[in-house]
Amino acid sequence: MSYLNYLCNNQGPNKREKIIGTCYTMCPQEEIWLRKREKLIHILEVVGDNFKLVKSYSRSAADANMAVPSLLRPYNVLKKTVNYLLHEVGKRTNVPVIVIYDFLNDRLRSVRQDMTIQRLLPEQCVELLEPIIRFHVYFAYRLCEKPIKEFDPVLNNKLLLECVKWFLSCADEMDRLNRCFNIDNTALSLDMVNLEDSKNMYDRVLVESLYILCNIENNQLLVRYLGLPSYIKRNPRLKLAYEIAIANLKNDFMRVCRLSHGLCPLTTCAFVIFLPTLQKRILQIMSSAYNSKQLTVPTTVLQDWLLFNNVVDVTECCKLYGLNVDNGVQFNKMSFKCDIEVHKPKLNNRLTGEQIINLEDVLTY
Amino acid sequence: MMATGTLNQYIQYVERMFRTANGENLARLLSLRDDHINNKNLRSSDIATLVEGNCVAPLDEIIIYHLCCVQALSVKDFIEAYHHQSQCVAAVVRLLQAQKEENWSLSLMYTVCLDLRLVAQKAELCDAQSNGKILEKAAESLLACFRVCAADNRTADEDTKRLGMLNLVNQLLKVYFRINKLHLCKPLIRAIDSSPFKDQFPLAQQITYRYFVGRKAMFDSDYRSADEYLSFAFQNCHHQSIKNKRLILTYLIPVKMLLGFMPAKRLLHKYDLLQFWDLVTTVKNGDLRGIDHVMEEHESFFIRAGIYLIVEKLKITAYRNLFRKVYLAENTHQIDIVSFQAALQIMGQVDVDSDETQCIVANLIYDGKIKGYISYQHKKVVVSKQNAFPPLSSLY
Repeated sequence: MSYLNYLCNNQGPNKREKIIGTCYTMCPQEEIWLRKREKLIHILEVVGDNFKLVKSYSRSAADANMAVPSLLRPYNVLKKTVNYLLHEVGKRTNVPVIVIYDFLNDRLRSVRQDMTIQRLLPEQCVELLEPIIRFHVYFAYRLCEKPIKEFDPVLNNKLLLECVKWFLSCADEMDRLNRCFNIDNTALSLDMVNLEDSKNMYDRVLVESLYILCNIENNQLLVRYLGLPSYIKRNPRLKLAYEIAIANLKNDFMRVCRLSHGLCPLTTCAFVIFLPTLQKRILQIMSSAYNSKQLTVPTTVLQDWLLFNNVVDVTECCKLYGLNVDNGVQFNKMSFKCDIEVHKPKLNNRLTGEQIINLEDVLTY
Repeated sequence: MMATGTLNQYIQYVERMFRTANGENLARLLSLRDDHINNKNLRSSDIATLVEGNCVAPLDEIIIYHLCCVQALSVKDFIEAYHHQSQCVAAVVRLLQAQKEENWSLSLMYTVCLDLRLVAQKAELCDAQSNGKILEKAAESLLACFRVCAADNRTADEDTKRLGMLNLVNQLLKVYFRINKLHLCKPLIRAIDSSPFKDQFPLAQQITYRYFVGRKAMFDSDYRSADEYLSFAFQNCHHQSIKNKRLILTYLIPVKMLLGFMPAKRLLHKYDLLQFWDLVTTVKNGDLRGIDHVMEEHESFFIRAGIYLIVEKLKITAYRNLFRKVYLAENTHQIDIVSFQAALQIMGQVDVDSDETQCIVANLIYDGKIKGYISYQHKKVVVSKQNAFPPLSSLY
C-alpha cells in the first residue's frame, strides 16, 4: 500500500489512530543511558557540572520501530524543548556559531520527527514550526559567508522549505475547518488581532511573507498569495513581500531595492540571501542598457542602486563578472560573463543595520 | 441501453458484448452516464451474491463494483461511490493485463476512468477536509491503467494498448491542474512527446492535450511554445464547441498579447471575453492607471483563470508603448530621462523617480524592445536611428 493510501485511509478524524508520547523529558531515558555509555554527549549538552540531553535525530530505518510511546515527547514537552533549544542553547557564546547551528539543527529535526509520528493537530504544529522557521531563516543569513564545507545553504533551505510548507498546509487546514464552522472573515480578523498581540502565538503573516521571499524566483508561489483569504492578503507586511516579488517579476530592480528597506528583520535576512542573484541580473541588464565604450556609471551610484555595502564591494563584484572599473563602471554587453557563478551573499550591514545581532532578537518580535 | 429489464438479462447482455469483443457497447453498459443506471432492477443492497456465480470471470467483479457504485450514487453517497469506482478501475486494469495482443477493450477503460475522475470530483466536494487527496488517489488509479498501456510495446501497431495513452494522460492532466500539482505533468508530457503515435491519436484528444500543455508552458513563461500549442488547439477545435474555444482563448489571448498581437474586439465579443478589451486599449495606450483599474475590476476573473501574473507582465508592453509615444512626440534620437519619467507620472505611476525610470528603460533595451543605450552622465536615452522601437511581434 502506498504512503498516500495510508494517509488517506487514516485521515478521517475518527479513524485517526494516534500515538501519544509518554516521554516527559527532553530526551528519552534509553537514549540518555546509551549516549552516556557510548560517550556521545554533545558539548552543548554539558551545562555546568550536569548533563542536559536532548533527543537527537536519527533516520527512520526499515527495521527500527519509531512509534514507541516511551521514546516520543508529547506536545507540551516538545514546546518546552524548542524553547529551551532556541532561547537557552542559542544564547551560548563559548562555542563557535557553526557548532550551535549544527546542534540546534539536529535537535530541532528530531522535534519535527516526533511531531510527524504523533500526528499532532495543526494548531499545535504551527506553534512548534514557527520558531523553527525563524531559526532557519536567521542562520541562513548569519552563516552566509561561511565556506560550503562548514555550512550548506542549499540543505538549510531545503529544511526551511519543508517547515514552511508544513506550516502553511496546517494553516490552510485550520482555515478550512473554520469555514466549516461558519466563522466569517470579520470574526477571523478579530482573532488575528488577538494573535498579533500575544507573544506566544505564531505569526502566520511572517511565514507567508517568508514563503514568497525565500522563493522569489518561483512565480508559481505567488498564485498561492492571490488565493489567500482577504483578511491575510490585505495585511500590509505580506503585501510588501508580494509587491517586491511582483517588481522582481518585472525586473524593476529599483523598486525591489527601494521596497526592501521596509522589510522586518527576518524577511530582510531572506532578502539579503537573494540579493547576489538580483545584483548579478541587474549588472547583466545594465551591461546591455548602458553599453558604451566611453561612458561610465559611477561606482557610488551602483552602490546605492544595488544595495552594496561600499565601493570596494561594487568594484569587486563588477570585476568578477568581467566588467571594467576605472573612475566608474564601464558597461559592455560583450564582456559581461553570465556563466560565472553567482557571488556569495555578505553580512549586509546596510539593510540589516544594527537590528540583527543575535538569535534572541529575531525569535521574539 | 438496458433502461429496463432484469439483472440476469443485464448480465447476459454484458457477457455477450464481452464475448463478441464489442468494446463500445460494453463500455456503455458499464458507464455511469448511461440510461441503465436508472433501472431499479439493477439495484440491490446485496449485489455481490446476486452476481457471483452468475457471470464469467473477470467480468463478474467489474459488474459487481459497477453496480455497487450505481447503488451508492442513487443514495448520493459520493465517497462510497468513489471507492467502488476505484475498485472497478482496478478490476479493469487486471482485465487489460490479461488480454494480450488486443485493444478492443480500450473504450471500456476510457469510460471507467472518466467516470472515476467525475465521481472523485463529486466526492471531493463532499469532503471539506480532503483538499485534493481523493483526486490525487484517483490519479494513482489512472496511472495504473497508464502503465499497462505504456508497457504494451510488443503488440502490432493497430492492436497495441499504447493507443490509449493519450486519453489517460488527458484525464491525468485534468486532475493535476485541478489540484494544482503541475510538476507531476512533466513525465506524462515526455511520454506522449516521445511516443511514435504522437500524431496518430484522435484529433479531439490531441486538442485537449495541447490545451493543457500550452497552459503549462504559459506558467513556465515559455510563451512561444504556449502560443504554438494553444493556437493548434484553437484552430482545430470544433467550431461549435464555443465553450471550449472560449477556454482556450482565455489563455491564448494574454499569451498573444505578450508576444505583441492584440485581439480584435469582434473576437472578444463573439466569445464573451470582453474583460480583455479594456486591457487591450489600456496596454496599447500605455495607460498604467487604466491597467491597474482593469486588474482590480476583473481581479477574480484573472485570478480564477490563473492569468493574473501574466496580466501584470503586460505592463512591460504598456511601458514600451508609452515610451514609443514619447519618442514620436519628441521626434529626436536623444530623449531626456525626464521626459519618460514625466510620461510615467502622468499615466499613473506617480511615485516613479529618475532612477526607476532608467531601470524600466534598461529592461526594455535588454529585452530588445528599444534599440539604443542610456547615458547616465547626460541622463539621456540615445535610440537607434532606424527601427528604434521594433514591433513586438518581430522579437519572438
